[in-house]
Amino acid sequence: MLAYFLLLVPLPPLGGFLLLALDPYRLERRAVMAVALAAGIAPLVLFLPVALGYFAGSIGDTIAPAFTLNFGQFEVALAMQLDALSAIAALTVTVVASCVMIYAADYMASARVADLRRFFALMNLFLAGMLSVVMAADSIVFFLGWELMGLCSFFLISYNMNSPRAFAAGRKAFVMTRIADAALLAGLLLLFLEATSVRIADLIPAGLAAPEQRAVVIAVLLLVGALGKSAQLPFQTWLPTAMAGPTPVSALLHSATMVAAGAILLIRFAPLIEAHPGVAAATAIAGVATAVFGALCAVAQTDIKRLLAYSSISQIGFMLLAVGMGAPGVAMAHFVVHALFKSLLFMSAGVLSHASGGTTEIRRLRGSAYAAPISFATYVVGAAALAGFPILSAGWWSKEAVLGAAVMAGPFGQFLWLVALGSAALTGVYAYRPVWSALRSPVEPLPAIKENWLAVGPLIFLATASVLGSFLVGPIVRTMGGTVPHAGLGVEVMGALAAIAGLIGSVVVSFSPVWSARIKRARRLRAGMQMDAIYYAFLVRPYRRVVHKLSGRNARKDTSHEAETDRTDGGMGDPVGTATVNLGLWLARVVTAPFVPDRFDLVTMRSTREVRRAGVWARRLQTGRLRTYVMAIAFGLGVLVILGWGMTWG
Amino acid sequence: MGLSLQILLPFFGGLAVLFAPRFGRDMERWGTVAVMALTLVVLLYSVVNGDSGRWLAFTRIDWAPSFGIQVLLAMDGLSAAMLAISAGLGIVCVFVSWHVTHRSAMYHAVICWTIATANGVFLSFDLLVFAFFWELMIVPAFLLIGLWGHGQRESAAMKFLVFNAVAGLGLLAAVFWMGATAPEITFDAFVLAESDYATWVQVLLLLGFALAFMVKLPVPPFHAWLPDAHTQAPTAGSILLAGLLLKTGAYGLFRFPPLLFPDGLMALAPYGMALGAFGVLYGAILACGQFDAKRLIAYTSISHMSIVLMGVCGGVHFALAGAGVEMVAHAFSSSALFLLIGALQQRTGTRDLRDLGGLQKTAPAFATSFAVFFAAALAMPGTANFLGEALVITGMFQVNWAFAAIALLSLIVSVLYATRLIGAIVFGKPKAATATFEDLKPHELWPIIALGAGTLFFGLFPQTLVGWLRPAVDAALLPLGVGAP
Repeated sequence: MLAYFLLLVPLPPLGGFLLLALDPYRLERRAVMAVALAAGIAPLVLFLPVALGYFAGSIGDTIAPAFTLNFGQFEVALAMQLDALSAIAALTVTVVASCVMIYAADYMASARVADLRRFFALMNLFLAGMLSVVMAADSIVFFLGWELMGLCSFFLISYNMNSPRAFAAGRKAFVMTRIADAALLAGLLLLFLEATSVRIADLIPAGLAAPEQRAVVIAVLLLVGALGKSAQLPFQTWLPTAMAGPTPVSALLHSATMVAAGAILLIRFAPLIEAHPGVAAATAIAGVATAVFGALCAVAQTDIKRLLAYSSISQIGFMLLAVGMGAPGVAMAHFVVHALFKSLLFMSAGVLSHASGGTTEIRRLRGSAYAAPISFATYVVGAAALAGFPILSAGWWSKEAVLGAAVMAGPFGQFLWLVALGSAALTGVYAYRPVWSALRSPVEPLPAIKENWLAVGPLIFLATASVLGSFLVGPIVRTMGGTVPHAGLGVEVMGALAAIAGLIGSVVVSFSPVWSARIKRARRLRAGMQMDAIYYAFLVRPYRRVVHKLSGRNARKDTSHEAETDRTDGGMGDPVGTATVNLGLWLARVVTAPFVPDRFDLVTMRSTREVRRAGVWARRLQTGRLRTYVMAIAFGLGVLVILGWGMTWG
Repeated sequence: MGLSLQILLPFFGGLAVLFAPRFGRDMERWGTVAVMALTLVVLLYSVVNGDSGRWLAFTRIDWAPSFGIQVLLAMDGLSAAMLAISAGLGIVCVFVSWHVTHRSAMYHAVICWTIATANGVFLSFDLLVFAFFWELMIVPAFLLIGLWGHGQRESAAMKFLVFNAVAGLGLLAAVFWMGATAPEITFDAFVLAESDYATWVQVLLLLGFALAFMVKLPVPPFHAWLPDAHTQAPTAGSILLAGLLLKTGAYGLFRFPPLLFPDGLMALAPYGMALGAFGVLYGAILACGQFDAKRLIAYTSISHMSIVLMGVCGGVHFALAGAGVEMVAHAFSSSALFLLIGALQQRTGTRDLRDLGGLQKTAPAFATSFAVFFAAALAMPGTANFLGEALVITGMFQVNWAFAAIALLSLIVSVLYATRLIGAIVFGKPKAATATFEDLKPHELWPIIALGAGTLFFGLFPQTLVGWLRPAVDAALLPLGVGAP
């Protein structure tokens, strides 16, 4: 009975999507909001009792089969499941999504009704996709949700349809993640061939039993899939540009849930990763490298949304580190805590930037602390969690657990721990920067804005959760079947010192003119180490050259969506097709040469004589004789058929 | 008898439609719809009352016994799916051609005859009759492009004709040779399947068959006719080309090489897969470079049909099932895209991506429909297109990882061309051509809804489709010595 209850959870957002997208009732603004909120919050209402029952131990692991696909001799049962991962992750997703939906109702209030409908339809579809990912019991539902998230992400980033930049950002995100998704699909299909089943519970043992080489390939493919979705090195470039989307989109998709789904994937398939020390090490290295890279880039940002985007990249790096160190439970804890404080940060930042006149530039946030005090306070709580403020913030506890797991994993882990500690210190440097900026007295006083309860309610809730989340870290790790790593007091003190060093660093960076100037000059770092330019030079431009060569256009510097102004389609294009045509023409010429004195061109009718002849022929077609012609064919066919029948009967 | 109705009804229906205008306005349109609906009902009847064995229905009528020619029609799930698509698309064609007034009766008759001849291809197992329908099928399509097409219709129609007629000669020659050298003259495919050709003979004969099929499919380097034909054809012509005529090529490949030339197929399959792999990428990359919306979709068709070629040559269960699913999925999604682009061209007078844009604002229903088939074009899970491609890729992993990798690459390139298409049409600010744009009318919307429902239904509940195709897949694999998975 309960099993079927699980299947209901993703249905309300799906229904909300259909209702809003197809819009059979021409919904008004308020109705759109009502549908969107009801559909967005219903999963929480449905799932909360299940999750609480699970944590209390009154409900065990459950698999809810949706329906069975019959591929002849083997069957594929699509299903949702309730286990530690899905209970924790789905609860987190539904909580954060509800908060973001409520916040969005206020944030998007001034949008056109049609845009509002589109926005909430896609947000709901996204939610259905994310819930399918975390609750999937089989790889088909998992991949379905995974790709739905990518699709919604594309449409939501390019939500502003007038902006070519937003479109380019959405397209970039879609393409980059699709590259990784292709790897993930390959991994899942290979696992399917090993197991001849799609049930994840069957896939993992089959992957472990697979021949060494194949198992490594599978693990690497899964890892690549996670790196792409989670914007980890070397896929990280899409996330900062994805900030072109509206703030609620950034808060839900591009920080708390979808981007962290890569970590969920790795936690789900952690046994396959851990079975191969090389792959596990690669996971950890990718995580730590991204953690440092993201932190460095974040320090150099001047835009608060891009700063937060780089911080997401960096924090997810910590989750990967935990998975690589063999502590998926710890990664899960960091996922939950990160989802809470990162959505909080984005949404508070949205209010602050609204208070300072719609800018997202950090230095222009001056004075917004006084214009929107509640949101500022919640931002501070979020920043403290991000920076891992010792003891008081949930972020500190989960990050300490990750660092502890690294320390306990041997010398290699201790080396990674040292690097990660540096990243943790840097986190403080950038996390508090907007705080200091907002506290400065404004050039001219900002008018206080009305902090609507729709906007502030979720902020206060999430801020509370970001503090009280400290008490969740231990239980989450234990529910996931792990133990909270205790690497000794020294390690914890080091973590605390790093966090405090970060806090001091942020003061220095914000108030010392020398350091401010240095950050202003760090263009290369601000542009994400120019990885975009590198990809452009080595991937995008060569690809465009190939496209232009093959389609017979002159290579131009830029043919992106907004720059396509060149109207001359020079050249023939399609060399393979042209070659076939030319070969045919040549053959026709050779064959007909003995009979036809002048060369004629059978297919393209290039010679004027043929064109004229074709014209005469075509004119004849249009004078009514064609009818006779077609009738003749038809009549002939009819006669043949009837003759055939006549013979049979005769 | 029941099966021959699938050919006779549209054929004589087409004749009747010629005289329909005498009975009132738009009668040729409703007449065509009635003919197609009747064909569908008859099809449904023969499927529901079908036998449970290898064939749902089977008809054998002697035609010219002294020459060994007979009317040998057989239908299994694969043929039934194709027949359903052909009649369904016939109805769609009527609704998208509501604006066609030039020689309207003849136009609708030609549509009926295209469907009649294609149905003949989907049913015939007497190879001579098959080849007869195969050649005959070119004529109505040629007329459709050449008479009701756009600016450069004559040369496009001519190119279509020459390519397909010449390629058909390969089929014809092989069929004649087989019939003539049989101990007792016959063209019965099931009898000829028993004959014991040497492998090199099989390879030669298969090359003859494959030439015809691969030109129709089309797979590079035999594809040059398709982009021209698609761009110049009227909307209904494009729909029939993409949804029906290309499928005859895929159907032929699916049906005859494994049945008649299993050894030859085994010998040539790696080359077929390589050609398919090349076509997948070549079509997709060229699609990225087009400015003409129809041409772009034409190149994506080449890419998707090359996946079918890979699947058919894969010779494993998953690959063949995937090829079958991809045939159906592509029929739905590409016809819908051509329908939408046709509506666009009819309203704005242009298909150039640089002149379009902003339809999300001016035409929400159009934009929403476009987004659905955008998702299908890039093989979003949940659409039948994904199912087809994923099955083919699974099969390729069993055969050769390199081919699987190339098929996976197409998933990435498909995002590039699909976003390019939707970005230029739906996104952006409305331009001069699209500033005032009348949204889809009901007679355009209902076909779109039907096609979209099909795409999603078969994507989300694939067992119906896979179940239908299964006997055909098993039968194709049996001569190759491949058991079920």
